[in-house]
Amino acid sequence: MDSLTLSTAKIANGAIVCCECELQGDITIGSRTVIHPRAKIIALLGPIIIGENNIIEEQVQIINNCEDAMVIGNNNVFEVDCRVESKKIGDNNIVESKAFVGRQTSLSNGCVIGAKCEVLVHETLQEGSLFYGSGPDVKRRVQSDKPSAQGAQIEFLSKVLPNYHRIRKPLV
Amino acid sequence: MELEDIFFSTSEYVQTHTGNKVSRQSTLCGSQNIILNGKNIIMGESMIRGDLANVRMGQYCILSKQSVIRPPFKKFAKGVAFFPLHVGDHVFIGENSVVNAAVVGSYVYIGKNCVIGRRCILKDCCMIADNTVLPPETVVSPFTVYSGSPGHCIEELPEAMQDLMIDYTKSFYQHYIPDKDASGVNQLSIASRK
Repeated sequence: MDSLTLSTAKIANGAIVCCECELQGDITIGSRTVIHPRAKIIALLGPIIIGENNIIEEQVQIINNCEDAMVIGNNNVFEVDCRVESKKIGDNNIVESKAFVGRQTSLSNGCVIGAKCEVLVHETLQEGSLFYGSGPDVKRRVQSDKPSAQGAQIEFLSKVLPNYHRIRKPLV
Repeated sequence: MELEDIFFSTSEYVQTHTGNKVSRQSTLCGSQNIILNGKNIIMGESMIRGDLANVRMGQYCILSKQSVIRPPFKKFAKGVAFFPLHVGDHVFIGENSVVNAAVVGSYVYIGKNCVIGRRCILKDCCMIADNTVLPPETVVSPFTVYSGSPGHCIEELPEAMQDLMIDYTKSFYQHYIPDKDASGVNQLSIASRK
């Protein structure tokens, strides 16, 4: 079971993908993306394409339940325990802890989904939208600042994570 | 009121000589950087990210299932680093919670499904209700209860909070006992906390 997943995940050079994360199905991971242990990227029916410079923290579930490809752009941050089923995610977004982004929602650029927010709206979010609150009370607004880049954290993680975890070898 | 006994299967847990009961299904990354001071319970599928920075937990701490303790991230002038995380004694962390705090004091109760934001400071004897979201860098004063998203102080705790937490965690620890596999009868009474 594991050898199958290892052989079908295309990992670019420079991506740090810990061996303890669960990768299933047809997945492409761009360079300088960091995937923490215990993350789950499951391409059930269709492929998942992840861009560069993303940070996918532990217990994140990125699941593709439909046959179209799921495309995730660059510079995104998926914090601990969030769930993402959205088909298209642009660049520079932040999905905070325990948030849920449904299949019908698409994130453009610079969006922030706050902690524990469930976003199920059937639309492509405007650039810079921000969801906050929790439960039935989720509010939204648009922010003009872009979320800051995480390059420094990615560099730090690229140095630290290989010391403690086995990293999957790049496979292009 | 006595707590009920909660049984765990002996094959699933490791007991250290200092009395820590650590589940084999939990993930302790960077275990050389994790200091558990004794009599802690780390239940199944939880994670402690010691690989990012040092994590130090006091005595009688309870980390429930699927919770994540992870040191927060800080940008310094000259670069970035993960801050060491100190957890005090007699701390109860509920299921599925994500603790990103910089400091958790002693005698703290953290409920289920909470999100403690980056670099929060939880002082001694505070309580975080279930399903709370604490925004980054919140300072939670002693003897307060925080709830909601974003977390706000909703009530105050009596001064007995310290004794209550000591009592609760100690008796939880004492009632968390291995089931006796031999007879097989005890399998039925495994009370799993869902």
